[in-house]
Amino acid sequence: MSTESANLDLREGYTEKYGFHDAEQSVFKSRRGLDKDVVAQISDMKGEPVWMKNYRLKALEIFEKKPMPTWGPDLSVIDFQNIFYYVKPTSEEFKSWDDVPADMKRTFDKLGIPEAEQKFLSGVGAQYDSEVVYHKIQEKLEKLGVLFLSCDQGLKEHEALFKQYFGTVIPSTDNKFAALNSAVWSGGSFIYVPKGVHVDVPLQAYFRINTKDMGQFERTLIIVDEGAFVHYVEGCTAPTYSSDSLHSAVVEIIVKAGARCRYTTIQNWSNNVYNLVTKRAVAYRNATMEWVDGNLGSKITQKYPSVYMMEPGAHGEILSIAFAGKGQHQDAGGKVIHCAPNTSSKIISKSISKDGGRAGYRGLVKVQKGAVDSRSTVNCDALILDERSRSDTYPYMEIEEDRVTIGHEATVSKIGDEQLFYLQSRGIDKEEAAAMIVSGFIEPIVKELPMEYAVEMNRLIQLQMEGSVG
Amino acid sequence: MTPTATAAPDIQSWITDALERAGKREEPGWALDQRRSGAAHARALGFPTREHELWRRIDFRTLENSFARLDPFRASPATRNLDDLPPALLERLGAETGRIGLIVQRNADVVIEQNAPELARQGVIVSSLDHAVVKHADLLKGRLGSLIAPDYDGYAAMGAMLRSGGAFVYVPDGVEAAVPIRLLQWLDGTGQIAAPRNVIVLGKGARATIVEEMHSDAGDGDAIAFHLGGTEVFVGDDAKLVYGTLQEWGGHVYHYSNQRADIGRNAELQWIQTVLGGRMVKSNSYFNLIAPGGQAFVHGFMFGDGRQQFHLHTLQRHLADHCTSDLLIKGCLKDRARSVYQGLIQVAEGAQRTDAYQANRNLVLSDTARADSIPGLEILANDVRCTHGATIGSVDPEQMYYLQARGLPKNDAQRLIVEGFFAPVIDRIPLEGIRDHLRTIIQRKIG
Repeated sequence: MSTESANLDLREGYTEKYGFHDAEQSVFKSRRGLDKDVVAQISDMKGEPVWMKNYRLKALEIFEKKPMPTWGPDLSVIDFQNIFYYVKPTSEEFKSWDDVPADMKRTFDKLGIPEAEQKFLSGVGAQYDSEVVYHKIQEKLEKLGVLFLSCDQGLKEHEALFKQYFGTVIPSTDNKFAALNSAVWSGGSFIYVPKGVHVDVPLQAYFRINTKDMGQFERTLIIVDEGAFVHYVEGCTAPTYSSDSLHSAVVEIIVKAGARCRYTTIQNWSNNVYNLVTKRAVAYRNATMEWVDGNLGSKITQKYPSVYMMEPGAHGEILSIAFAGKGQHQDAGGKVIHCAPNTSSKIISKSISKDGGRAGYRGLVKVQKGAVDSRSTVNCDALILDERSRSDTYPYMEIEEDRVTIGHEATVSKIGDEQLFYLQSRGIDKEEAAAMIVSGFIEPIVKELPMEYAVEMNRLIQLQMEGSVG
Repeated sequence: MTPTATAAPDIQSWITDALERAGKREEPGWALDQRRSGAAHARALGFPTREHELWRRIDFRTLENSFARLDPFRASPATRNLDDLPPALLERLGAETGRIGLIVQRNADVVIEQNAPELARQGVIVSSLDHAVVKHADLLKGRLGSLIAPDYDGYAAMGAMLRSGGAFVYVPDGVEAAVPIRLLQWLDGTGQIAAPRNVIVLGKGARATIVEEMHSDAGDGDAIAFHLGGTEVFVGDDAKLVYGTLQEWGGHVYHYSNQRADIGRNAELQWIQTVLGGRMVKSNSYFNLIAPGGQAFVHGFMFGDGRQQFHLHTLQRHLADHCTSDLLIKGCLKDRARSVYQGLIQVAEGAQRTDAYQANRNLVLSDTARADSIPGLEILANDVRCTHGATIGSVDPEQMYYLQARGLPKNDAQRLIVEGFFAPVIDRIPLEGIRDHLRTIIQRKIG
């Protein structure tokens, strides 16, 4: 494969492990490009209610009007008219792996999804291009009233609940890419956890792009009712194509009083994906929202998961890891908005750049008028592994109250010679020593991951560190 | 408000006037060309818009609305000697006038330029920039205007075009300036623009201490005045410069200024900037470490009350290896004051063994005040140690309790805490008289 050599030095093993692709066998594919007809066609194909169709068309107008962001990475190379906005892989969504077409099942088998489902998960959703092809949740959770559906199914089967929350956290006017997603969204998860229900084993969604020049626009809506708990995990990979794909998701989360939601992402797109995602949660009285955000893949990622703390006692936490290798730009970070008194938040960011990659933290801590006795700490650490790589830190702090405690600290460094020397003097070779130091560096975040992800993350870091010291 | 209210200034007539005045002083052609280039950029750029990252958090519209009516060339009232200076300024000078290098600017003109005999003997030049640009053209050409790009923004462009007054200080190679040099600026009343440009040059191994002060009367109603300043500093190899500024404008003054310093091999710059006055203040300070071993120590504070708005932007630019920069900016706000600190450490490719630190600490005394802090890092080298920290908080209630429990009234307790907060910066100000004055202002502001 011609793409292999370009990919090799970056994330070794990616091409073999994730970078393969199936023959394109979609049952429907919209034509290239974006206009009213394409948007209307997506809505018609899905048999949506009129309000949703109108919502999409309105969002398209907003998308067309909004300028590209003037800050952050250069996105001018994205050719919106060269993308397939909707690729329907199968005629329906399946509840058993046996029904999933063989090609796709092989893909997910290779990625280890069905196996993981049996071992560690309460429920699994698997999205292939534009649609969710598999969705299943444990029966006992279903009986408790937990909903875990694709977003399309959510709209179809629970329209009232869906309509009540959809677009309330991230309106289509929020930013250009949120508008785009609102116009062409397809797939993603719809989750409702009833009052007091603890889903103690994670729900997982897996996102896979297969088609070339494809845009994936999944939409996720999670409602965690009072006193409930859920942990949602998503993973993403794509084949290594020579042309670029676009992934632009919108994730809206409502965490009601006393509830807790944890959302873990391991983003491992191939290096031809532009990953431009809007993620936001609102947390009410004494609720907790936690984002664990790992960004390893993609060409450019712009993602700043945010928590709006709407009522007293709400707590927001963002743990972010970004790893940028050759040709990658990870513009990650987080935002915490204190809208009520006695709210607290914590952001920990660890970024690593290597082989000319650029990793950074961009974040906002905002304390609105009246949010007295708010507390926030932000810690950003960056590790630069060679002289060609780059690290950026852009923390914003906007404080409109006096009775608050806000702190931010950031450091940028390289792997310490003393640390290397110490390990080497104990007989560990240099490469392994460096990998150990990097593992230690990201440990505070990795330990928050579910077990199997922590193992996977460490393995990925090991892979990426190979040949990095010399 | 109609869009026509922000009538653009008549650049054509201003540049014509500026060139005519400069021509009368026999300003050399290259300096006149800088004014022309400033005019061209001012025309092209206009006022900075909110799209500009550095202008999103401060609003100069009130100034811009009346900009066209301001007088950029207001002459000073007759000032033949020190006794003609406004009493408030005279008081600032104190008793040490005869023994220091001194430049006093009033409105658009430098009215007093005096070199101390010791300095003159050493070959140190202390001059108004207007005179120096004629008399010491060889020393200024290639330096004046080289660090502040005229197209940096619309205001920088207008500053290049209108340049009025400012000081030139030159310390030859190996000379340690025997006495401090003081630069004072005064603004009489409202309705005017003063656009001084200072150029400071320290030769190889030279040393000097310079203190710059900005004062004015209290203003009058809603009318405003505008200070459009610029300072370009060249610290030669192995040289050391201590540069302190004290800004205490009245509440009618809008302040915009650019400070730039090039720091040579193994050279050291100690920069202390204090911001107390003015209605709105926008300041951009860049510290360029251009050769190995350079060091920049930057300390600043701002104390806002009433409806004051301050926007401080700093850039620590590591362009060579083995350089150190250490920055601490403290802000204290009460009433409805607002401050923005926007700082960045940049480490260029190859600037290995960089040691850079940036800290911003904010003390907010009222719930209607607001502090924004945006410390940033852009690092393109790997063998570096770069750290920054920012905090925003109110007075620690335990400290207040401790002091009040010892019988101190609330106000005194708060004053002590604020003084303590500023002490690490004040202690670095070179002259005792100025340190005392700063403490007085802080007391007055706490009330």
